[in-house]
Amino acid sequence: MSKTAEKTYWRSLQELSESKVYQEYAKQEFPDGAGELKDGYSRRNFLQIMGASIALAGFTACRKPVQKLLPYTRQPEHVVAGIPLTYASTFPFIDSGIGVLVTTNEGRPTKIEGNPDHPSSKGATNLMMQASILDLYDVDRSKNPKESGEARTWDDFVAFCNSHFADTNKRIAFVSEASSSPTFNRLKDQALSRFPNAKWATWEPTGNANVYSGTQMAFGRKLRPVHHFENAKVVVSLDHDFMNTNGDNVADNVDFASARRVSSTESEINRLYVVENSMSLTGSNADHRLRIKASEMPAFIAALASKLSENVSGLSAFSGVNNDFSQHSWVSVLAEELRQNGGSSILAVGQGYAPELHATVAAINAAIGNAGETVTYHDVPFVDDSYSNEAFVSLCNELSSGEFDTLVIVGGNPVYNAPADLNFAQIMERIPVSIHLANHVDETSKLATWHVNRSHFLEYWGDATSYTGVRSVIQPTILPLYGGKSEIEFLAAVVTGENHEGYDLVQDTWSNVISGDFTNGWNEIVHDGLQKDSGFDEVNVSIGNLSGVAENISGMTAAGEFELVIKPDSKLFDGRFANNGWLQELPDPVTKITWDNVALMSPATARKLGVEDKKFGVTDFDMISISVNGTEMEMVAWILPGHADDSITTTFGYGRTAVGRVADDMGKNTYLLRSTTNMLYHTGAEVRKIRGTYPIACTQNHNQMEGRPIVREATLAEYRETPDFAPAKVYVPARQEDGHSINLHSTQTFPDYQPQWGMAIDLNACTGCGVCTIACQAENNIPVIGKREVVRNREMHWIRTDRYFNGDEENPQVVHQPIPCMHCEQAPCELVCPVAATTHSDDGLNQMTYNQCVGTRYCSNNCPFKVRRFNFFNYAKNWLEIDEDPDVIQMAMNPDVSIRFRGVMEKCTYCVQRISRAKIETKNRTGNSIKPEDGSVVTACQQACPTQAITFGDITDPESVISRTKANERNYVMLEEINVRPRTSYLAKLRNPNSQLV
Amino acid sequence: MSTNSGYVVEKPLVKGNHTFSSITALVADIVEKPTPLWWYIAFGISNLLLGLLFAMLAYLIWEGTGVWGLNNTVAWGWAIINFVWWVGIGHAGTLISAILYLFRQGWRTAINRFAEAMTIFAVMCAGIFPAVHVGRIWVIYWIFPLPNQMQMWPNFNSPLLWDVFAVSTYFTVSLLFWYVGLVPDFATLRDRVKSKLGAKIYGFFALGWTGGNRQWQHYEKSYLLLAGLATPLVLSVHTIVSFDFAVSIIPGWHTTIFPPYFVAGAIFSGFAMVMTLMLIARKIYGLEDIMTDDHMEKMNIIILVTGWMVGFAYIMEFFIAWYGGVEYEKFAFVNRAFGPYAWAYWIMMFCNVVAPNFFWFKKMRRSVAVSFVLSIVVNIGMWFERFVITVTSLAQDFIPGSWAYYSPTWVDVLTYVGTFGLFFTNFLLFLRFMPMVAIAEIKMVLPQADPHYYDEDGNEPEPVEQIEESK
Repeated sequence: MSKTAEKTYWRSLQELSESKVYQEYAKQEFPDGAGELKDGYSRRNFLQIMGASIALAGFTACRKPVQKLLPYTRQPEHVVAGIPLTYASTFPFIDSGIGVLVTTNEGRPTKIEGNPDHPSSKGATNLMMQASILDLYDVDRSKNPKESGEARTWDDFVAFCNSHFADTNKRIAFVSEASSSPTFNRLKDQALSRFPNAKWATWEPTGNANVYSGTQMAFGRKLRPVHHFENAKVVVSLDHDFMNTNGDNVADNVDFASARRVSSTESEINRLYVVENSMSLTGSNADHRLRIKASEMPAFIAALASKLSENVSGLSAFSGVNNDFSQHSWVSVLAEELRQNGGSSILAVGQGYAPELHATVAAINAAIGNAGETVTYHDVPFVDDSYSNEAFVSLCNELSSGEFDTLVIVGGNPVYNAPADLNFAQIMERIPVSIHLANHVDETSKLATWHVNRSHFLEYWGDATSYTGVRSVIQPTILPLYGGKSEIEFLAAVVTGENHEGYDLVQDTWSNVISGDFTNGWNEIVHDGLQKDSGFDEVNVSIGNLSGVAENISGMTAAGEFELVIKPDSKLFDGRFANNGWLQELPDPVTKITWDNVALMSPATARKLGVEDKKFGVTDFDMISISVNGTEMEMVAWILPGHADDSITTTFGYGRTAVGRVADDMGKNTYLLRSTTNMLYHTGAEVRKIRGTYPIACTQNHNQMEGRPIVREATLAEYRETPDFAPAKVYVPARQEDGHSINLHSTQTFPDYQPQWGMAIDLNACTGCGVCTIACQAENNIPVIGKREVVRNREMHWIRTDRYFNGDEENPQVVHQPIPCMHCEQAPCELVCPVAATTHSDDGLNQMTYNQCVGTRYCSNNCPFKVRRFNFFNYAKNWLEIDEDPDVIQMAMNPDVSIRFRGVMEKCTYCVQRISRAKIETKNRTGNSIKPEDGSVVTACQQACPTQAITFGDITDPESVISRTKANERNYVMLEEINVRPRTSYLAKLRNPNSQLV
Repeated sequence: MSTNSGYVVEKPLVKGNHTFSSITALVADIVEKPTPLWWYIAFGISNLLLGLLFAMLAYLIWEGTGVWGLNNTVAWGWAIINFVWWVGIGHAGTLISAILYLFRQGWRTAINRFAEAMTIFAVMCAGIFPAVHVGRIWVIYWIFPLPNQMQMWPNFNSPLLWDVFAVSTYFTVSLLFWYVGLVPDFATLRDRVKSKLGAKIYGFFALGWTGGNRQWQHYEKSYLLLAGLATPLVLSVHTIVSFDFAVSIIPGWHTTIFPPYFVAGAIFSGFAMVMTLMLIARKIYGLEDIMTDDHMEKMNIIILVTGWMVGFAYIMEFFIAWYGGVEYEKFAFVNRAFGPYAWAYWIMMFCNVVAPNFFWFKKMRRSVAVSFVLSIVVNIGMWFERFVITVTSLAQDFIPGSWAYYSPTWVDVLTYVGTFGLFFTNFLLFLRFMPMVAIAEIKMVLPQADPHYYDEDGNEPEPVEQIEESK
């Protein structure tokens, strides 16, 4: 069966909405009137029709072959060609959901933004949300169910379920991803009650399992801690990367930034301490950062608890602990800070750490009074005993010993991501019947008896619960492209043996939730994207007996010289987003590496191993061999300043073998190094340098600012003393001396035209996460160019984030700086273009006219900020026409932005299409004004940014947000001295150090 | 020549007691004799290289600019380096034929013809690069101010546009100048060649030249006018090429010293190239009497002088970078000498500033071997000068986060090699079918051309074998 024939496209919105009328209409071979003669047969009308047919037949010879488009036979309500529609939905992510707004163009979802009304997103997004639009159009997705590799239909599968699961005494093992869906969990309960011999385990390679186990130890029940960063003055993250890989990272970033925002010298900001082994995104934003090995974390936490136990009650189990960290200055400083800020501080430890550490951290939060204030603990109804690593391990053991005859895997990919010592592939081979629901015919599906193709969350009806318990509905915006099924439809088929539509399943669940009139209530929830006032119950916690916990922690000692730490990837997470070109090509926020995972190590460890610090321009890097528990893996060694010594960190999510053309064979599958006993770190890893090198595509080749005032920063105290420290870093006579003209000639005047667009980026808010880059890529149809081209430094991102280290390489400070086009008022690029392809618009945009560009690249050379991107090859064509599936990725394209051909230059436009849309709307509304209201033009990067670091608007309006932002004393422009007058300015970064640690 | 003592006796420009007819025979025989075997071999190799050039250009245009080693940060690489290098080489031809003509430097007649040929072929090689380095060559005509229905008009602020005019004007004037000089010699060949077809072709290009008095008057006037026209071009073309860099704001490019420095560099490299070609040609064709060691010495002096002008510019750039106090510029220059591209910088410094100093010594100036080697060294150095200017400035400019290293691909290298194919194919055709020395002009500097050559009785003076070398 050819692949193209299997694709299912909706033909119109009626088909999309599956209305009965339309289905009947579509079933008829001919529309009304064409199929039969209305007035019966008469000579006259017979001749009429014959004559017309012959005349029309003649015309066919006069025409070129026609490709038929199917226009709307009836104009669907709300759909106006060229005007995008927005629908509220929910992005399901592990065991929580994040509210989104999906933009569709003529029925194609093209962009995802945060739902401003939803507390989980507050209008912002993270990398995975932005990139999930591309997952929808992944040409490598599975296109039909398969039985033993043979193509089947969904009906075949339902029939199979009907017969196979008829015997309810079957011993069935269920393995599922964590899900926050009420419907999913309802069906899960149904399954377990229908099949009394069934067992269920929830497996997430990274997730909150240890957090729940930890709260059980501390408080006696599985609870979910929710951090309220907006209220915290002091945040202590013990390797808890809440800015990046945590499930609730959007809300965390929004809240953290709100406590970090500085509008004047009066503002107070929070203080962030990070203790970690590798430089995480959160660590790179810390005011103080301590690097310790991951295997030293138990001792550190015990020492901290012990120190605190001197002053607060509830931690007596830890009193008298004496270890390497007991005398450490950080322990006393942190204890002091936490105690003084009891009720307004947050202590958190990374998800992967042992439950005991989570228990201790929870106990500390409770003991110092944070619980109920900055950290609230919630009862999550769907978290049960099946959601723990132990449950999964014991299920796997039972599977190995042949205690089950059917294995049902609902999502997930355990053959790829289960700990290596469980040997899940062998389990799959032994079990008589295995069923796997998956997006791709992946590593697990390859070994399964049945593979069922899964639909994308933009294609199905479903529901989800946010991190704080806000219930919402997942609303499809397109029919399944490949006819996939959601996990609830899949589960319903297994449980009932019948086909159930997701829509009905979800409504069945919600009929019990919605009080009052169901239709009204349902419509409101679907429209708003959430059920208002829903949420998990907050629980008052009391610390239980921790003596066992303290004892276990004291037993966690490190052995061996090197430790190996394996963490989720900051872009691909656990590998589920691996086949996404946008994410693969996004530079890692800290290392700036694309398309690969590497073994990170400190400069001292590198010297010890003989790994060279490569010279500028070298793209082939040294390899090391890492062995743990007899498994050896060769990886690229990467020297990361600020990494703990004798510790090697790598990420999982790479090294796929069966997912698709983007991800396969990119990076190394580090899950092979993971075992059930050492989920986060292995002590006693053997590491040695080996011969050979490997090319790495890193987008930043130089990591120091060379003393240049590119990113400007100060401490909070310095800022209060010298508020204008940032602009004062550069001596510009015109600004600093009266009567000194900025220009030798008369001061250049700019068009007396409103609006004039400008942007400001608050470096104090920016965390460097990279969401802006993906949002821009989605909005502006930026192609993915592949590793080989990135190795050659030809990345196409219109907004990049530069990351600089300063200070010593052992404990560097880090700054992040997003760089879009500066839209210089006196743009040097415009001067040098021989064909005037780049010019200035009346409203102050530096425009790029793609059609007029001949591609001399002179503009790029003359750009001091190097923001211009050249199509060295026909990147767009290569990207949009992958092999035999030419048209799928094209559906993800934004119709308002042209696709650029090879040989032309492109760059940030300040989202000129959004500006134009706002202008048109304003003109339509007012009749004459083309000056959109302040705040009505939002650039893609600005909209996506979870820390609201980017402001945009009309700088001629003194009351606009942008004008007020630019009026801040911290406002500066890069390279002011060369007088190109950038429209994009920066607000200098501030740090809030503790004088005791400086 | 009179035997009067007390005058400074200039060494004759042509050695070997040649007569008018022997000069004609010496030069014209090259064209008339059967083609030697070495020529076929050399032409074959050149053609292969030319084919390589076409293949590389076709590949480039088919695949896109990405086949070169360029990146986001360094958007100009070997193409622009080669362009500037070839244009620079061309300059010597115009300088020799036009400026030295106006300054009445009689010795130029020995080398002006093939120096001009070199100019034209070098500019042809150079001209390829600006055309093919653009992303969309099929719309390259948009850079010309052609009235069109698309409401497009070039941006006259752009130095690249100035380049288009400068180089095309230069090529046109050089070609005309060369051709006008060739007319009397074409007539000579027309009258000498035995093949009818050859006579017809030469006759066509000789424009009916008969050597009449009026014709000579017109010829001299037009030649003088063209020399006057070409003279400012020697200065303007490379000045404008230097504007490609100087008008930008990139540290290391944004320098007012560039115009004179580029012109000096161009003459420097051009003379070196003429030297290389002259030494080969005079050896093969036995033209030592015309292209004497005195010529070699004079050219070596020019190489030494222009080499030091270039060296002075190198040093001055450093001084200004320090004196100007712009940290970015300071970094750019220190980085050239000690940064990742230091190897290129020191090759340049050695070849352009150190190596020519051998020519302080007369013995070296008159040594064929030394002159030949150094002429090649100088052109290597001048290629690296353009590399250093173009690449190091771009690779590490204002924002350290976007710094990137540039290295060429095989396509870059083979395209450059291929341009030698174009150059030598043309040059070999020139050697084979055109008079490589200006026959008519060289006769003007023979002693016989002096009205006082014959005594009152019309007798020739005693033949003087050879004037001794002055010690």
